[in-house]
Amino acid sequence: MEFQISNKAKKVTLGLMGVGLLLLIVGFFFQKEYVFPTVLSDHEVYVEYWGDQGDKEADVKAEAEEAMAALGYELDFGDEGEEHEVHAHGAVEEHGEGHGEEHSDEAHAHQSPTFEWHIHIKHLEAEGHGAHAHGHDSAPSESLAAMFTNGDIAMSDSHFRRFWSNLLVNGFFFFGIALGALFYLALHYATESGWGVVLLRIMEAIMSSLPLGMIILVIVFIAATLGLNHIYPWMDSDVVAHDDLIWGKVAYLNKPFFWIRIICYFGVFAYFMNWFRKTSRNQDSEDVEKATASHFLMYRRGALFLVFFAVFSSTMSWDIIMSIDTHWFSTLFGWYAFSGIWLSAMIMIMMVTLYLKHKGNLEYVNSSHIHDVGKWMFALSFLWSYLWFSQFMLIWYSNIPEEVIYFVTRIESYKFIFFAMFIVNFVLPMIFLMSADTKKSWPYLIFIGMVIFIGHWFDVFCMVMPGTLFEEWNFGLLEIGMFMTFLGTFVFLVLRALGKSSLVQNNHPFLEESKHHHG
Amino acid sequence: MTDKVIYAMYDDDDVTKDACQTLVDNGVHVADVFSPFPIHGIDPIIGVKHTRLGIAAFMYGITGLLLAIIATRYFMVTDWHGINIGGKPNFSYLENIPSFVPILFEFTVLCAAHGMALTYFLRNKTLPGMPARNPDPRTTDDRFVVEVRLAENSNFSLDQLNDMIKETGIVEIDEKTIK
Repeated sequence: MEFQISNKAKKVTLGLMGVGLLLLIVGFFFQKEYVFPTVLSDHEVYVEYWGDQGDKEADVKAEAEEAMAALGYELDFGDEGEEHEVHAHGAVEEHGEGHGEEHSDEAHAHQSPTFEWHIHIKHLEAEGHGAHAHGHDSAPSESLAAMFTNGDIAMSDSHFRRFWSNLLVNGFFFFGIALGALFYLALHYATESGWGVVLLRIMEAIMSSLPLGMIILVIVFIAATLGLNHIYPWMDSDVVAHDDLIWGKVAYLNKPFFWIRIICYFGVFAYFMNWFRKTSRNQDSEDVEKATASHFLMYRRGALFLVFFAVFSSTMSWDIIMSIDTHWFSTLFGWYAFSGIWLSAMIMIMMVTLYLKHKGNLEYVNSSHIHDVGKWMFALSFLWSYLWFSQFMLIWYSNIPEEVIYFVTRIESYKFIFFAMFIVNFVLPMIFLMSADTKKSWPYLIFIGMVIFIGHWFDVFCMVMPGTLFEEWNFGLLEIGMFMTFLGTFVFLVLRALGKSSLVQNNHPFLEESKHHHG
Repeated sequence: MTDKVIYAMYDDDDVTKDACQTLVDNGVHVADVFSPFPIHGIDPIIGVKHTRLGIAAFMYGITGLLLAIIATRYFMVTDWHGINIGGKPNFSYLENIPSFVPILFEFTVLCAAHGMALTYFLRNKTLPGMPARNPDPRTTDDRFVVEVRLAENSNFSLDQLNDMIKETGIVEIDEKTIK
């Protein structure tokens, strides 16, 4: 049983990639860096900016003036911004409560903002009061502050943080899918399972796309090491020097050791991926005795991989994801990230199986196989929800400041996607995949599968973004475009890999059992 | 009304399954199969109806969940209103719901599991102390028995049935008259 990627599939995947790339490029030029307002009264707003783009101050001022003039107000920025830059810290504190505290937990070496404004809002003399009084209910200071917080008035981001963060999100998500398939393949061999033999080649094809995620992640890490992005605060020696908590973790979180670990994980994963693929392809042309020997070799290597994976999938997710929020830690994090990885891989296996079955390439796959993969999707959704909730509930309940800050950021700035993602990923599979019939039904599986696939992309989004973009996150062309690019590339690579070998492992000792699999 | 019953004994689950398939293909109605463990895939062959135990379990689970919600709300919010436990005062049920999720989950599982087990026992009339209903005690050990009733197979004579069964790899055959 051979499979060759059809021209239509090629067009769809490469088209997805092309359109995504286009959106991505457009989105790339709309990355913003925000200035943060504090509303002091109906006509007063305090604005401060801590970044390194002080030269753009005049542009932002002009933008704010223009926007408020359209509403019929005039702005008085209080003082000349340039002068303020050299003011002592004490000068700021007389403005009112609140500001002093915000400064103290900033990790910046210099103790005053790049620029700060004390804006007084006045009505434009020329305009009549009545003309605008009914136009907006909120105070003018609120409207101005809203324009700052939602990014209408902002400067372009010179560090492209949104781009890098998205690269990390997608890199990790698609790396995870390939890794999850490799893990499941190893599990299948190590447990000497029989039922899924006719699906092993699909898992092999999915895990062959491992290099895509790895390359992207390595690009992100190289950029982080060179200081091109600020994803990992502990890579910035300035930050580390002024931060006792990070200083205490330097023995583990330092660049050389980080790179040793990354090379070790990626090297081992790539080695096992290649080895499994090569051995199983060779097995196809071996005689029965040799093929059985190969099978037992894969059985032992599978167990070996699982041991490595059990320990280092945890530390890997600490290194790649958890160290973004360097102050925070959770021992459950590794399992939580792993359950998401495994589930995404299972959904991908299901989707590719349904596609190939639809094309008529999988004559041995019957509804029992599909039912079993559906069971995995159902069960792993529960595992993931259980771990997500265990992590959330314990931290929420104990309410220890250094722990709970992780969820405070997420609930304050990401409330909707954070909870919607959890509810969708938990409730949808629970209700719709509970019955045995829906676990075999194509429309259900495709619909639920796609929704929770995207739901788990948002899970990774919620792991990464609050630590890299804080409240300055956005969801737009850049995010959609990059996801499409990655999805198109990934599916293209998987379908191409499927064509490189027979879809059935003819010499697998359990092939007969799998053909007659009956759940 | 009296009826003749044939008990055919086998020593392997796959042989039992194949035997049932052969009999059913010949038009014989198999009344029941006694086995020490569940045999995968035998249900559709002998025409056992799909169990509704799962639906019952779901109902018991929902009942447990509702009971637990009512109970925790009454204990922690209505009765002990505003007691501060671990910095989480119980003024509002909704705001504190994460702390009740473990007990909601546990009670759901408790009700579903016990309800399901009791229903199973009652439905099968296998409460402790009840007489065993399997034809041969060895079916709880390592033997499999296929039960064929004459009244349900009016197309065949007793001898025809016996002959057909004897060709299916049996280890023993037994005949009983029941009232």
